[in-house]
Amino acid sequence: MVGISSGPNAKESSDVRGAPAPAAAGAIPTQQDPPAQSEAQPARPLTHGALRSAYCDLLGRPPFEAERSEWLGKARHDLCDRWIGTEPFWAHWLEEQLYYFFLIDNFRPEGERVLAIPRDLAAGVLDPREATQRIALSPSFDQRNPGADTFVTVVMEQFAGITVQKHARELEIGKAIYDGASGTFLGRTGKRQADIVDIAVRHKAFADTFIAREHRRWLGVDASPKELADGSRRFHAAPAEYTKIVREWMLSEAWDRRAQRRLAVTNRQFARSLYVDLLDRLPDEGEARRLRSALDGMSDAAPLRSIFARMLIDSGAVKFSEKKALSDPRAWIAGLFQKLLGRDATDEELDIFVTAFADPACRPQTVLYALVTHPEYQLY
Amino acid sequence: METTRLDRRTFLGGAAATLALSPAFAAAAPGTRPQERKIERVVLVAFAGGVRTRETFGTPGNVPNLVQLAKEGVLYKRVKSSNLGHYGAAMSLFTGVAEPRGIRENARGEEPTLFEYVRKELGLAASDVWIATSGGAQQTNYSYSVHPDYGERFGANTVDGDGLFNAEFKSLLSSLGRPREMEARESELLARMRAAVGAGEARGALNSAESASQVERFILEELTGGAAELRGPNAADAKALRVARNLLVLFKPRLVAIALQNADIAHGSYNGYVDVVRQNDAALGDLMKAIRSDPALRDSTAVLVCPEFGRDADLNSRRGLDHGDGSNDLEYVSAVAWGPGFARDRVVEEDVRAVDVCPTVCELLGASAPRAKAKRLPKLFA
Repeated sequence: MVGISSGPNAKESSDVRGAPAPAAAGAIPTQQDPPAQSEAQPARPLTHGALRSAYCDLLGRPPFEAERSEWLGKARHDLCDRWIGTEPFWAHWLEEQLYYFFLIDNFRPEGERVLAIPRDLAAGVLDPREATQRIALSPSFDQRNPGADTFVTVVMEQFAGITVQKHARELEIGKAIYDGASGTFLGRTGKRQADIVDIAVRHKAFADTFIAREHRRWLGVDASPKELADGSRRFHAAPAEYTKIVREWMLSEAWDRRAQRRLAVTNRQFARSLYVDLLDRLPDEGEARRLRSALDGMSDAAPLRSIFARMLIDSGAVKFSEKKALSDPRAWIAGLFQKLLGRDATDEELDIFVTAFADPACRPQTVLYALVTHPEYQLY
Repeated sequence: METTRLDRRTFLGGAAATLALSPAFAAAAPGTRPQERKIERVVLVAFAGGVRTRETFGTPGNVPNLVQLAKEGVLYKRVKSSNLGHYGAAMSLFTGVAEPRGIRENARGEEPTLFEYVRKELGLAASDVWIATSGGAQQTNYSYSVHPDYGERFGANTVDGDGLFNAEFKSLLSSLGRPREMEARESELLARMRAAVGAGEARGALNSAESASQVERFILEELTGGAAELRGPNAADAKALRVARNLLVLFKPRLVAIALQNADIAHGSYNGYVDVVRQNDAALGDLMKAIRSDPALRDSTAVLVCPEFGRDADLNSRRGLDHGDGSNDLEYVSAVAWGPGFARDRVVEEDVRAVDVCPTVCELLGASAPRAKAKRLPKLFA
């Protein structure tokens, strides 16, 4: 058996609320990993691939080993009910929003009001629109977008999807309001910097922009005009509806297609996935940020992802048993395909891997390299 | 790999299909004189972040290295730029098409970049075409477009100096140690297993397995270098210039672009901005020193330097400089071209456009930029 030292995966402590304790060892599957069977087949049962995709969508990481054991074969809607609207769900959402506004690295908000957003959203005392407004009113947003021109431009572009070059007058009014003058901006009166944000987030265009990009994030495709109109109308009227909209997306045929097609993992997801898959824990905040930031600096991150994966595997942090202790290499390799690639290996793949593994020069680590440095591992 | 040596005749002939349709060429050709020159590679510096002529050629003491380049090359005094936001304006240098882009937009452009043009037309490997950046994730979008005829498979390798070569990331890697050296047999087995998975290696990926391996080696080498220790207000820009210098010396790639950004500190500090301009000029001097001292580079490398746009004419309330007043300070910048066969100490007073950089670079390398809405910079050659 290839054992993996499993450090506490509760770095994101609330991430495992209600989940069984992680396995003491064995983030990499020991042998065949039989799906949990229920009396009757549930609707939309979670396969290896669907479970991995759903976790990455909901929480920005694949499932921990214990979660995999718990949820494999269970109903997708139960998983949605388990996580949508929880604090870990909103923590992932917040990270996505901060990245959208490029509030990362030195511009990452550290103030209590922004850091409290996941908790407040989970408690229902804040909705996503108010949360976005809170982000835009943080000192980090101001520092990231210094001066009237940049600040108003970014608010117009990122909140309302407006091309400022085509709305120069609106921009000038916004800049005047930023500087303390009174004016009518996007149809409402304002007279200070905070009004710019308030007006923008309450404008219908904010709902349109928000739903359009969230639809792309969840389903990997642009919303149809009707989907956009419906989602935007609901969100504009009641922003707290967002969790219901997400649940509908997650249970839709469009999500089935997205899971089938698979999306490219972001650099943040890659960093988190690698730690979860190899160490059964999340990277700490510093590790994740440094790795994501480095990967972000490359148009083709694959070479650096490969370097980092190999360094992590070779570092000693990932514990491997002796090769000779693996009594059934075929089953072990099949389990790795399911866990890391979210699918069953074909017979041909298994034959080639098993033959290679039988060579004295091939170590368990070599098999792991082959999978986590492969382009298919870059999809979820 | 065999490189294409271009003399003036080859340069003009190689791009004949495009130039035959170009009014600019028709105007320029009669005055040209045949003169041997060899341009094997181009270094394009997007001196970006918003840099006015007032702080460069208007104050020569700030930029002695740029001034020296201009004396040995061509200075374009009136380069028309567009205030499309830093991202959009710098993108237009690479695409030859001026289109608005959101300031914080994180999406690839629709129009092909010069990197895609040269890779596709000249059949270059990804390791032949690089961009060193200082602005993080957003600037990796310069690498390639979403255009169906071009895209990732013709993209440039982008390395963000500050993202990759910083002390924090270096310490993270140091805590893990270096990857274990793999024996030949194990490497062979690894390659066999990787090739067996699914459809094998990704099709249409930016790097082939070979160039990805070169990139890996470069990163590992650079991580042990001194770039991570660079400090100061232009640290990110300095790292981009350092990365570019090392890429040039190591790989001798055909095209290296450098996208700077730190001058945008000007929003809050005029003095800080001037400091960045001075330090970036010094770092550019180091890059030029490396080019001049390398026999394989000095007689075959062309260098173009151009800001994406300038800055406002007047200081803002924070004693900084924004970019949005529509003034000549904002919309006209100065650019320099230096290289074998180029005119020396020539000052071009007529208006040219920042987007003209894209087709110029392509043509210098023997390629064309068919979708660019721009023309080659005039009066470039002696």
